[in-house]
Amino acid sequence: MLLRKITTIFLLGGILLFVSCEKELPTFLEYQSYAFSENDEAGGTWKPILINSGSAITVEAPKSTSSSEYQAELADMKAAMGKITPQQQQEIFYWTSNPVTRWNEIALELIAKYNLIPGYNEDGTYTLPNPASPEGPPAFPFAHPPYASRALAYLSVAQFDGLVSAWHYKYTYKRAAPYQQDADIDYAYEKNTIPSYPSDGAVIAAVSREILSAMFPLEKAYLEKREAEHLQCLSLSGGNVASDVAAGVSLGKKISALALARAATDGMKNAQAPKAVSDSIKAAAFTRFGWQWDNLELPTRPVGLTPLFGKVKMWNVPNVLATRPKAPPALDSPEFLEDVRILKDYAAHVTTERRRIANFWQDGLGTYTPPGHWNRFARDFIVKYKMNPLRSARTFAYMNMAIMDGGISCWDAKYYYHYPRPIQMIKGFKTIAGTPNFPSYTSGHSVFSAAAAEVLAYIFPQEASLVRGWAEEAAISRVYGGIHWTFDATVGTEQGRDVARYTVNVAKADGADL
Amino acid sequence: MKSKRIVVTLCLLLAAWSVFIPSQAQTPSDAIMMPARDACVLANYNYGQFDQYWEGDRLRGNLTIATVKRTTVLPMVAVGITDKLNLYAGVPYVKTLSTDPNGGKFAGAQGFQDLGLALKYEALKKEIAGGELSVLGTVGYSTPITNYLPDYMPYSLGFGAPEVALRGIAQYKMKGGLYFRAALAHLWRGYAKAERDYYYNNGSYYTSWMDVPNAWTAEGILGAWLLNYSLRIELSYSKLKSTSGDDIRAYNAPQPTNRVVMGQAGLMAQYYLPPAKKLGVLIYHNQALTGLNAPKIKNFGAGITYQFKFL
Repeated sequence: MLLRKITTIFLLGGILLFVSCEKELPTFLEYQSYAFSENDEAGGTWKPILINSGSAITVEAPKSTSSSEYQAELADMKAAMGKITPQQQQEIFYWTSNPVTRWNEIALELIAKYNLIPGYNEDGTYTLPNPASPEGPPAFPFAHPPYASRALAYLSVAQFDGLVSAWHYKYTYKRAAPYQQDADIDYAYEKNTIPSYPSDGAVIAAVSREILSAMFPLEKAYLEKREAEHLQCLSLSGGNVASDVAAGVSLGKKISALALARAATDGMKNAQAPKAVSDSIKAAAFTRFGWQWDNLELPTRPVGLTPLFGKVKMWNVPNVLATRPKAPPALDSPEFLEDVRILKDYAAHVTTERRRIANFWQDGLGTYTPPGHWNRFARDFIVKYKMNPLRSARTFAYMNMAIMDGGISCWDAKYYYHYPRPIQMIKGFKTIAGTPNFPSYTSGHSVFSAAAAEVLAYIFPQEASLVRGWAEEAAISRVYGGIHWTFDATVGTEQGRDVARYTVNVAKADGADL
Repeated sequence: MKSKRIVVTLCLLLAAWSVFIPSQAQTPSDAIMMPARDACVLANYNYGQFDQYWEGDRLRGNLTIATVKRTTVLPMVAVGITDKLNLYAGVPYVKTLSTDPNGGKFAGAQGFQDLGLALKYEALKKEIAGGELSVLGTVGYSTPITNYLPDYMPYSLGFGAPEVALRGIAQYKMKGGLYFRAALAHLWRGYAKAERDYYYNNGSYYTSWMDVPNAWTAEGILGAWLLNYSLRIELSYSKLKSTSGDDIRAYNAPQPTNRVVMGQAGLMAQYYLPPAKKLGVLIYHNQALTGLNAPKIKNFGAGITYQFKFL
């Protein structure tokens, strides 16, 4: 699409060759702003996640549109629109009328930026990222998959609650958008009849800035800049006057404070357990099952990744034990030995197709992780089905809650069973994917993906078989990569589906399907 | 003096076919022309290894990969189309792996890499101040011929993109056999294709295409003919510099989009066996001394050349 290469070759003096290349590659989803498939007038009555109802946070009634204050705001907005620069024009096009997609992309980019595992020091020790001194080195955070799943869950839940509140007041106060009141205003996007006070875009901007600033503290200045750019575009597009934006920002901040208060006490800060705790978890597994996973890196990492992520507060599963899978096969069982044979066979015969699948789903260090990959899919469906911002935020919120709950359930199983990886059990085994720093059973990719796919299948039933197929491919990709057993993948897929059922049941009862 | 002329025009492909990792500058950069209807075949073996690399400008080791070993076997042919125009073709077979023990347990890779083709044209050759000045130009093209994965560094066989190289060469040879040579080349590199459709390159990229930065290379050579034009020795220094690209991130794998700089020093000797001097042997060594986002690699190589008339 954007990939173009113009190659011009000409001969000079018989033998001179010159090639010029134009290199342009997509850095975000480029799409034309679209007319929303529905307005969801009753959206303010949907059940939010963190607050009790859309009216839980007070938003003052706006000034009448006939008031001199409003008319002055309208005049200011029109004056600013008359002086739009080409740069601002590009920004307006970029943000679209569904900026939920953009802030999700920004979140994925920060995840990829910070998804770097700390390396070892000269003396062979490892230093952990420290939120108290985020500059590091290593910088805080290490945005690994559990961290990413949690950042996305809080972002999306706060966005959703903010928009349920916004919808409540939009349809309470019914202040029409500037371009609905003044025919001279040329709205930059497809027009709609959703009232403009408080601004949904401003809610999204403020929430996203607040949540992401807490999750990525070194990015505060960057996020502030993106928020300012976004807020300016809300007015320059002709969609919101200043008081629409101010009310949205205020609402967004209040919701964010609630979300971050939950985050502060959800148990994540204890997830990266100290060595003594980690050792006792490992010893307990060895006593129970007669096996234990060991980190084989050089130098050995003293503690696996977030041994206590399984104890983090879940969103929709009352008790993680309800979703813990059965024990994996004993290391001398025929089932296990058959898996050893399969893994060796895959390693000895890396087919084009298996290699492609292993790499496509790898989502390893330096990338947006599997939770990020599923957010990308969700974004694409949101645009394809022309969702409004409220529906978009709901989609992300339920999917990301299910993904995070899946991660918590998966990590519970990982450290309860503490099952070894293929490189630990098969002598001389080599892999084409990087073996992560945590136990094998069950596969994180499998659980994250199945959980995400179930929520997407519920929201986009037309895509159900497609996304479920993807989840199964993501699961088996880890076996092709040489870093998981087949039962890690198959049981992990079941586990993800099981976890997602809790979230889907909550979603089905929130009023959006009525 | 026919035999001497043959010697002087023997193919000296090897030092020029210098080995970068994972890229290989595959354009002959010597100043030697083969006469029309002569052909030369080369079989070369190269062993390279590194246990340190530059992450950005920081030289570091990494026990995840321990020492990376890279073996290349290069069959190549050079053909004199006319006395002033030569054609070159070669396909390296590359094998990579890490020494044990290593912390990553990654499988190495092996297979044919890129087909390299080059034309060399002698634009000028004249006597000046008792010596001989030559000016040459080469145009080279290389492209992957297998589906090796460029996005698998440091084990990938190559950078996975087509390359067009344009090179100018000037040499001044003194009567006694001493010579100086300089070459400057620009390398236009296309896109490598990854098997994932998202990567980070100072920001998100939603595509499997990776922009491999274009590069400049420059080299200077001091050489001499000895033993009545039977032995040739060379000292060289070469530098490759990408024109764009990102840095390897902390404790992270390199990727084809990286901005690579590498300065390499080398030694080479080639000896033509009497009496006919059709058969030659060569050995060389080169070593990276400075770099950015590049392995601090040492290469050792040996090859056999055989020249014959094909018409």
